[in-house]
Amino acid sequence: MSLDRIGAAYQPYLLSLFRFVTGLLFFHYGVAKLFKFPPVEIFEDVTPFSLWGVAGMFELVFGAMLMLGLLTRLAAFILSGEMAFAYFIEHFPHSFFPLLNEGALAIMFCFSCLYLASAGGGPLSLDALLRIEPRLQPDVSRT
Amino acid sequence: MNVDSLLAAWAPRVLSIVRIMIALMLLQHPTAKFFGIPHVAFFDHLPMLSIYMIAGVIELVGGIAFLLGFYTRTVAFLLSGHLAFAYFIGLAPKGFFPLLNGGESAVLFCFIFLYYAFVGGGSWSLDAALGPRSLDAVLRQADRAHAL
Repeated sequence: MSLDRIGAAYQPYLLSLFRFVTGLLFFHYGVAKLFKFPPVEIFEDVTPFSLWGVAGMFELVFGAMLMLGLLTRLAAFILSGEMAFAYFIEHFPHSFFPLLNEGALAIMFCFSCLYLASAGGGPLSLDALLRIEPRLQPDVSRT
Repeated sequence: MNVDSLLAAWAPRVLSIVRIMIALMLLQHPTAKFFGIPHVAFFDHLPMLSIYMIAGVIELVGGIAFLLGFYTRTVAFLLSGHLAFAYFIGLAPKGFFPLLNGGESAVLFCFIFLYYAFVGGGSWSLDAALGPRSLDAVLRQADRAHAL
């Protein structure tokens, strides 16, 4: 049962790590869409005010906020909604199966952000540092 | 009921909902490899003992256990390692950036599983339903150890 013990002790910090990585992946997409770094073929023709460009702005701004843990719940909630739209606009029309419509990543982002919106950013975040949000740490491991 | 207490009540349940979705996203790979649901041409003629098929067995067994929330921490730890290997063996050689090597979902899977290895399966899981295993005692002990 040592895994349970270690898990219970370090879970809040892992929440912050998870939040950072999720934010980093969003940020990665935002930078690629708007600033073409790294150069990705399908993002070459994306202009800032197209549908994809606006999605890129969301990912850039709210992805950065997730990385920093600034207003985590708000940023995560918005990104969760964005990914739900992305799935149904871009992926779902191609096929029912996520494996065939390549929307598995969008689904995973959507649900990860849904969780972050409910759990907050953890102790290693600007929210915790600046006490912007109540430092609510739901004890999710004690269920 | 204010927002904070609503969120505090729902965070462990959302944790379980997210766990189920992530498990389904993982399980579609082994079902495509072994049962052809959905049919993916790339998986058609893979030899039975290739690295893809061995990965498929890990994903099938681990995915079902993770779906049900059965020994969530242990299973999530193994799956996290599995995805880390998949990333560095299969994807990292193709490029440094996840967007260029196609490894975004492997990275996200890996860190999601790592988080579940620490947090457990949430309210709606076999672990919670089968209950005792004196988990509370273990957690109280951990709290004391942390306080020291």
